[in-house]
Amino acid sequence: MSEKLQTLIIEDEELARNLLRSYLKDHADIEVIGECENGFDGVKAINEKKPDLVFLDIQMPKITGFEMIELLDYKPQIIFTTAYDQYALKAFELNAVDYLLKPFSKDRLLSAVEKVQTRIANEEDVSDKLEELSNLRPGQEFIDRVVVKDRHKIHIITVDQIRYVESLDDYVMIYTNDGRHMKQKTMKYFETNLDPKDFIRIHRSYIVHVDHIAEIQQYEKESYVVILKDKDKTKLKVSKTGYKKIKEVLHF
Amino acid sequence: MKHPLTSNYRLLGFYVIFWAVIGVLNIILQVIWYNVPLIYSLLETASNFVLYPLLGSSIWYSIRYNSLEDVSVGRLIIFHLIAASILCVIWVYISYIIYQPFVEKGDKFLSDVLPTKFLAGYAMYAVYLVFFYAVNYYQSLKEKIKKESEYKALIREAELQALKSQINPHFLFNSLNSISSLTVSNPEKAQEMVINLSNFMRYSLMHNEKEMVPFARELDNIKLYLSIEKVRFGRKLNAEFEIDAHCMDAEIPNMILQPLFENAIKYGVYETTDQVTIKTVCNCEGSFLRITLTNDYDATTLKRKGEGIGLRNIRKRMEIIYNSPELVKVTDNKTSFEVQLIIPQKQAVS
Repeated sequence: MSEKLQTLIIEDEELARNLLRSYLKDHADIEVIGECENGFDGVKAINEKKPDLVFLDIQMPKITGFEMIELLDYKPQIIFTTAYDQYALKAFELNAVDYLLKPFSKDRLLSAVEKVQTRIANEEDVSDKLEELSNLRPGQEFIDRVVVKDRHKIHIITVDQIRYVESLDDYVMIYTNDGRHMKQKTMKYFETNLDPKDFIRIHRSYIVHVDHIAEIQQYEKESYVVILKDKDKTKLKVSKTGYKKIKEVLHF
Repeated sequence: MKHPLTSNYRLLGFYVIFWAVIGVLNIILQVIWYNVPLIYSLLETASNFVLYPLLGSSIWYSIRYNSLEDVSVGRLIIFHLIAASILCVIWVYISYIIYQPFVEKGDKFLSDVLPTKFLAGYAMYAVYLVFFYAVNYYQSLKEKIKKESEYKALIREAELQALKSQINPHFLFNSLNSISSLTVSNPEKAQEMVINLSNFMRYSLMHNEKEMVPFARELDNIKLYLSIEKVRFGRKLNAEFEIDAHCMDAEIPNMILQPLFENAIKYGVYETTDQVTIKTVCNCEGSFLRITLTNDYDATTLKRKGEGIGLRNIRKRMEIIYNSPELVKVTDNKTSFEVQLIIPQKQAVS
């Protein structure tokens, strides 16, 4: 390989960064072009510097490594580094990226780098697999926040701020008390990852937070609309199965 | 189950004294009031109040293996009739042998007394039966209560074990990774951290054996824990302590503080890029040790979902140990989080 792999390290702990750097220091094919201490800086650095390879910690302040991937315009090869996580097994099954469990040896790291080199040589596209990976749910836990990015800023929306989610082809629009945010995710993702005690898929196009429902109106025979508590009294269509789900959750 | 008279010397003493008193009273009454010859009175007393109680003590075995619950009433009656008959025959026969040398030939004493003894023998058997059944019932009841309380203690023990904090694998592996890094850059510090980690682990394993430790000990362990985390988080983690010196001897359940600090690090330090201060204030008031832990957290990135399992376990553990639900107080100020533990003391600390 003539050109060195432009490599970025995203890791919140200094000692862990030091170790990675010392492992990579004398690698002939790698050039470390930067280090980031958190996911916010990470997103910026990746989108600006467009590295070939990123070492990415999963548990980091503000946003996690997985949330960070959702915000990337440009998808590099990624090697995850983490201490202990249920994600590890899933990631191996998917074989989407390599996965280093801390603490790891230099040899283990080098073999991960080799895998990346082969993948680049074969021009495999990893973005779909990464997408798939970021759809995973950690254990049985439901998500408690969603990370979105508009032109300038990254927003962290805790799920209790979400009023409803609307599907828009390949995107979803997330409506909060302060506004709305677009995100490249499927309705399926939100349906499985939001706690069904709080969020109901009332229609093919809508998932609504139960606390924001003001009333449910019948507007034709066997069809209903949900009216939200906001000042515009937003109306959302309810499907037949959606109505059943509302009944189940609200017990009426 | 052992024979109540041989296993309980108090009961045996009462038994002997009871029959001795009755025997003496009987002699006095017979000799003075009824003018019975002393020798006959002695013989009768020996037979009724010494020999019968001796033989009768064996009646316990007949009820021991024929509990009221397991055997039908018919079988029980037949069994005891046979047992009573055998006992009476033996009793009367031995009495006869004892009486003979003292009674002159032709005296009607033997033929007068012996037949009526049978009747008395059956009646006494019935009294013994009631007595032993009562003793037996009382003993098994006592045993049952004892077993029940032992069982309850076992459950409580198991519950407490389950509630005690386990070392978080994230903490362990991240610390090992820090050590791995330090072996390259600073071997001495790596060694120090291995030792700190070992000491911390040792303390947390020891907690299986002992419930209460002096506060000073628990505090040392917390400082050890924080020193390990400090290596990972550097200046981001800032711990402050304000502790009354005389609190050090107070008693505290071991490893009860560590989950609180772990939470403070998880929600405070881990989720922010700024420095987070964990402040610990301890004071003693009368018979209470009050520990207050405060940490800042970034409310914009975190939605706290009520109480995590760590806090819930501490609350339950405190409830089991001290039998009071009001000893853990949690206050969420939206930018800082406060947990207060109130630990009752057996003796006032001052």
